[in-house]
Amino acid sequence: MNSVDEILDFAIEREQAASDFYTNLAEKATSAWMKDMLLSFSQEELRHKGKLKSVKKGEKLLSSQQKVQDIKLGDYLVDVEPQGDLTLQDAMIVAMKREKAAYRLYSDLAQKVDDAEMKDLFLGLAQEEAKHKLYFETQYDDQILRDN
Amino acid sequence: MSLKDLISPFYVWQRAFEKPYTQRRPLEERPGADRYRGFHMNVLEECVGCGTCETICQNHAIDMVKVEGLEPKPGDSGLRPKFDYGRCCWCALCVDICTTRSLRLTNHYAWITEDPTDFNFVAGADNMSWNGHEKGYRRDDEYNLLCLDRVEMDMLAPEEGLKSFDEVMKGYTEEQAKIEADRCVECGICVATCPAHMSVPDYIKSIREGDYEKGLRILYETNPFSATCGRICTHRCEEVCPVGVQGDPLAIRWLKRAIVDRIPLERYREILGDEVVENSKTVAIVGAGPGGMSAAYYLRRQGYAVTVFEAQERAGGMLRYGVPSYRLPDDQLDKDIEYIRSLGVEVRFKTRIGKDVQFSELMDQYDAVFVSVGLNVPSKLRVKGEEHPRVLSGLQVLDDVASGKDPGVGKRVAVIGGGNVAMDAARVSRRMGAEVTILYRRRIEDMPADPEEIHESQAEGCKIVIQAIPVEVKDAADANQVSIVWGEATMVADDKGGRPRPVLQDGAVMHEETYDSIISAIGQGGDLDFIPGEYRDQIEFKWGKFVPSEYQRTTLKKLFVGGDIANNTADAISAIEDGHHAARGIHKLLSGELVA
Repeated sequence: MNSVDEILDFAIEREQAASDFYTNLAEKATSAWMKDMLLSFSQEELRHKGKLKSVKKGEKLLSSQQKVQDIKLGDYLVDVEPQGDLTLQDAMIVAMKREKAAYRLYSDLAQKVDDAEMKDLFLGLAQEEAKHKLYFETQYDDQILRDN
Repeated sequence: MSLKDLISPFYVWQRAFEKPYTQRRPLEERPGADRYRGFHMNVLEECVGCGTCETICQNHAIDMVKVEGLEPKPGDSGLRPKFDYGRCCWCALCVDICTTRSLRLTNHYAWITEDPTDFNFVAGADNMSWNGHEKGYRRDDEYNLLCLDRVEMDMLAPEEGLKSFDEVMKGYTEEQAKIEADRCVECGICVATCPAHMSVPDYIKSIREGDYEKGLRILYETNPFSATCGRICTHRCEEVCPVGVQGDPLAIRWLKRAIVDRIPLERYREILGDEVVENSKTVAIVGAGPGGMSAAYYLRRQGYAVTVFEAQERAGGMLRYGVPSYRLPDDQLDKDIEYIRSLGVEVRFKTRIGKDVQFSELMDQYDAVFVSVGLNVPSKLRVKGEEHPRVLSGLQVLDDVASGKDPGVGKRVAVIGGGNVAMDAARVSRRMGAEVTILYRRRIEDMPADPEEIHESQAEGCKIVIQAIPVEVKDAADANQVSIVWGEATMVADDKGGRPRPVLQDGAVMHEETYDSIISAIGQGGDLDFIPGEYRDQIEFKWGKFVPSEYQRTTLKKLFVGGDIANNTADAISAIEDGHHAARGIHKLLSGELVA
């Protein structure tokens, strides 16, 4: 990846792949309502893809300086095998772990490039993924850890 | 007539050119005394619009009115007092009775205006020169027209309570109930906050009048689980009671119980006068919890043939299998349920939809279907080592106890969670002789459990460790024990303004402790697998729950839903209201008022 456009294309492809991942998982879902949930995750990834496409056309990405809150919830939860009979809880763990992996990928790539503009772009993408991870973690905190 | 009499009226004219003897207003404004009862001032932010000032005013000089920019919200009617100075006699009873002490009299007393309608004003909202002034009349601290102290209810001492599963709270005597009822100011702010919108001031008034039969009739207008709710309701009404601003809020929950405790089940039918006139319509209800049975009651009263399908052996749902008898004795839950059944509601026990009867059969054979299956699938900890056999589910422990089985918790127990299930799992463990530690991720003030449950858990010897996040379960040296690793969380403000979130920061202090069992009670989800795909595809869900629209109706026109599986409050009173609301919707649907 040598240019900003190539990096953005890479990120857009990743969002599409993530969307396809949830769509495929939804097709295997045995639970009555989990299919809808996974399809909504897939739609969420498509929204991220749309955001990146807008960035390619000139819209601002999250600033690489902007710090997204990290509540680290996914850090101590076990990995979950994505399969057909996922529960809501497990589906959210899968989602937050995937977002965390994406955050790490862009953070690592930012470390490896010297070009300031590209470094800034990778860090901006990392912040976007951190924001997605925070979304799933806060939903997990609110919907699963309800203490009801 | 003399000449003098004739010309004397004209003498007055000579006065017309003299300096007047009267004054347009005092030349020098003299301030009122420091505690002078002058014009009214109200601190809008402190006032909750309870209207007690309006009620006490003997001259009808106060009207509660809507104020622009102030919206009603829980605990605030959004109304504020408007004063009519053509009627006010400045007796200051309104100030003396004010529940929040937001209403005051300033020592301003001079007010000249050419428009008499100006003397009708909303204190605090209209721009008056005396707003914000400190001097004037305030209620003296030495007396109070309100009774601020709650009548305490007799209860088992903690050491006595631990010896059995007998009910801890003993109920009010008739005299205690009347004294407590007498504290009510009848503002009705509680009515708006109660999910079922129970007529709280009216049934409290019936206690004051000693008319318990009337009280029962008022209760059943909105809640057929009054014996139950009189014991375990989450009583959000009490949180907004304005008497609680300066003192203890009314014991609304206990007063509800005081009515029901005085009337035996055998007299319910005669008092409530429920007569069922059969119609030819049928309704199927899935789940005999508070939501399902509430819908069954109100539908049956309308003459519908109601059949309830219940997977368990007994009715009550989570009230039966999730609330221990020291909080809600079986016979009290039975009292509520048996009355509903006595009207001719059929309950088919041990009948699971999707297994014993198909959901499609209900949709095909009944005129309407109401689903209220609750949340009965415990969430997992999802930390490493969780599959250890000494990790138990809080729901299972409570179910075992309710079914007369020994859950085998051992002598040293850790309970993980901060809700009522966690508190109850802890308290039943204490009753079985265990030493109990409750590990909770957040702080005590963040616990969703009832404050009374938290207090009683502590009084019974449960130790609560806050900001403790479990990260791993391990084998202990003794095969019959289990170890848990937990870290000390830091509370971090939520970026979006929500409650603070616990975060296990890098380098957090970690602990490893060994117990005979770990009881996980972090939350529950629903199981909707009984609904086949062809129906599911037409229903809206979010985060594993139904998303109903008006009257608890789904996008499937004859399917209505309610209770924990369709709301976010997850308490009995909300489920009861959902059932009542759905019953109204089903009646409208089947009588042609709603589009089929």
